[in-house]
Amino acid sequence: MSSVKFGKLDFASPILVASGTYGYGHETKSMVDVNGIGGIITKSVTLHPREGNPPPRIAETSSGMLNSIGLANVGVNEYCKSKLPYLNELNTKVIINIAGTAVDDYVETLKILESAGGNHVGYEVNISCPNVKEGGMSFGVSAKMTESLTSELRKCTSKLLIMKLSPNVTSIEDIAVGAENGGADALSAINTLVGMGIDIKTRKMKINTTFGGLSGPAIKPIALANVHKVFRAVKIPIIGLGGISCVEDIIEFILAGADLVQIGTLNYREPGISIRLAEELDLYCRDNNLTSISDLKGLAEYR
Amino acid sequence: MIFNELAIVESTEEIASNTFQTFLKSPKIAASIKPGQFINILPSEYWDKMMRRPMSVASQKDEVISIIYKVVGEGTELMQNWSLGDSVDLIGPLGNFWDGYADKLSILIGGGVGIAPILNLHNHLDELGEEKVLIMGARNSSEHFIDHNPENGVYMTTDDGSLGIHGNVLEPLKIALENIDIQNVKVFACGPPAMMEAVRQYSISEGIECDLALETLMACGFGICQGCTVEFEKKQKTTEHSYRNRFGLVCMDGPIFESKEIKSCHL
Ligand SMILES: Cc1cc2nc3c(=O)[nH]c(=O)nc-3n(C[C@H](O)[C@H](O)[C@H](O)COP(=O)(O)OP(=O)(O)OC[C@H]3O[C@@H](n4cnc5c(N)ncnc54)[C@H](O)[C@@H]3O)c2cc1C
Ligand SMILES: Cc1cc2nc3c(=O)[nH]c(=O)nc-3n(C[C@H](O)[C@H](O)[C@H](O)COP(=O)(O)O)c2cc1C
Ligand code: FES
Repeated sequence: MSSVKFGKLDFASPILVASGTYGYGHETKSMVDVNGIGGIITKSVTLHPREGNPPPRIAETSSGMLNSIGLANVGVNEYCKSKLPYLNELNTKVIINIAGTAVDDYVETLKILESAGGNHVGYEVNISCPNVKEGGMSFGVSAKMTESLTSELRKCTSKLLIMKLSPNVTSIEDIAVGAENGGADALSAINTLVGMGIDIKTRKMKINTTFGGLSGPAIKPIALANVHKVFRAVKIPIIGLGGISCVEDIIEFILAGADLVQIGTLNYREPGISIRLAEELDLYCRDNNLTSISDLKGLAEYR
Repeated sequence: MIFNELAIVESTEEIASNTFQTFLKSPKIAASIKPGQFINILPSEYWDKMMRRPMSVASQKDEVISIIYKVVGEGTELMQNWSLGDSVDLIGPLGNFWDGYADKLSILIGGGVGIAPILNLHNHLDELGEEKVLIMGARNSSEHFIDHNPENGVYMTTDDGSLGIHGNVLEPLKIALENIDIQNVKVFACGPPAMMEAVRQYSISEGIECDLALETLMACGFGICQGCTVEFEKKQKTTEHSYRNRFGLVCMDGPIFESKEIKSCHL
């Protein structure tokens, strides 16, 4: 398989699985060789456990879905106790996604994870969850706050530090630059878009919290545009995600400026999709005489 | 152990009005699935919706399982049109299973297509020679495919009185409970939320042990999306897959829950 350089790291496959769409990596192990996945980004973990939002939390939409899970998670201490040991045994790269409500939360969560002695290669910082009032969104919409949060976290770790950007902003470029100035190693784009659905029979909102996060193929063109905007604004590497469902999508993201990609919603339907697409990507590289898919980064031409 | 298996369609039959039973050859799932568990189906290779369609298993024999479904939308429409020999992508067995029926009178209640997991339990109890009563509710006779046979503990009910007992499933439940020590009874039910909620409240008020198989929208079916929640009556211990104690996951903690354990069957 063609490996991909990403900062100081080598990824065996450029296809990772997105936070919140692959649990803690163990749920699918009887169906999928999880070590064949380029990397696993675990469900957002917060300083304290969170029970999440009341049901209904999900709805199906045209080529997508709405979710409002509300960052349900066991909390960082339990994460270190019950999730890290399994993750440590994996041969794929593990990235821990963290979320918080204030700078101190993020910092303390990261410090606890740093001292837990995990084999994880880095952190993805969720500053873009649209589904909880305090989901870090206040950081994600302000370049200044993104920069100061990034620099505080930078002081606590030498591991890969990735800021995950929201598309629900006026200028994603500004936020991206803030994260770059704060010392982020890389950026992930994008998180879900704010969406809504109504059941016309009952006239009730489909999601308990009214608004939810839209994901899946429906958002791919928006994700692609955001990745390209970020690509033009910063020099650090980019992980592109949002609606990826086939190898052509992956090539598009890389041409738009991504170094790596993540698959999210499609994992639910096909838990082994990231491995299947990695094989297809290898075939594509062979057929097109590419030594690495990275050769295509940002090569999309303007008309 | 959960498998992602390509099953082969063996046959499909319309067993009642707009209700179909499809038999699928799926050796790994058939060998390991337990009554009450479900599978998650990709209705076609070209399925572009985000979610598979969960279905309870209605029977299992040798290498073959069956599902019973009503055609209500695109997914079930595709299933009804499967041809003999088609291969279908399944994930399963998923969820927990019916339990606690040994040495008891089991009263099995199914409504609508909720009969599927009830029928599989019925077959299982037959094999074990356990005592049981079967109650099935429907709107009218065209939705039924089993004979009303009270002498043998098989009761059909219809809302319009066109077959069996005129009324809902609580009527035969009360009949079945006559002159019986409720300590030796357990009710197992699956059906539309309103039916299950009625059974749930009745079982609680009468102090009868009762397990219910719930249905809700599922994005994954195996504990990853956290989308399929049910609210517990009392906070529970955090489990491996349920992150906190107020909500359980229907796909992992369920689909079967004790009646007292949950707040409501309306999810
Ligand atoms: C654990 C579990 C076991 C199930 N077992 C069975 C079974 O044995 N037989 C069976 O027929 N169905 C079963 N279901 C429900 C089944 O999954 C849905 O009916 C199916 O997904 C509908 O798909 P569709 O694409 O045909 O319809 P869609 O286009 O998805 O929906 C069509 C209409 O049906 C409604 N609907 C969808 N899902 C449900 C639901 N779960 N309950 C009530 N209304 C719904 C929608 O609101 C919509 O109005 C089960 C569900 C779960 C969670
Ligand atoms: C049910 C669900 C839960 C999610 N949970 C998280 C989360 O905890 N943290 C996070 O950073 N992103 C979360 N996401 C967002 C995804 O990681 C991803 O950014 C988004 O879904 C877009 O990619 P996709 O279209 O491929 O799914 C979640 C998405 C879904 C659908
Ligand atoms: S359906 Fe995804 S967690 Fe239950």
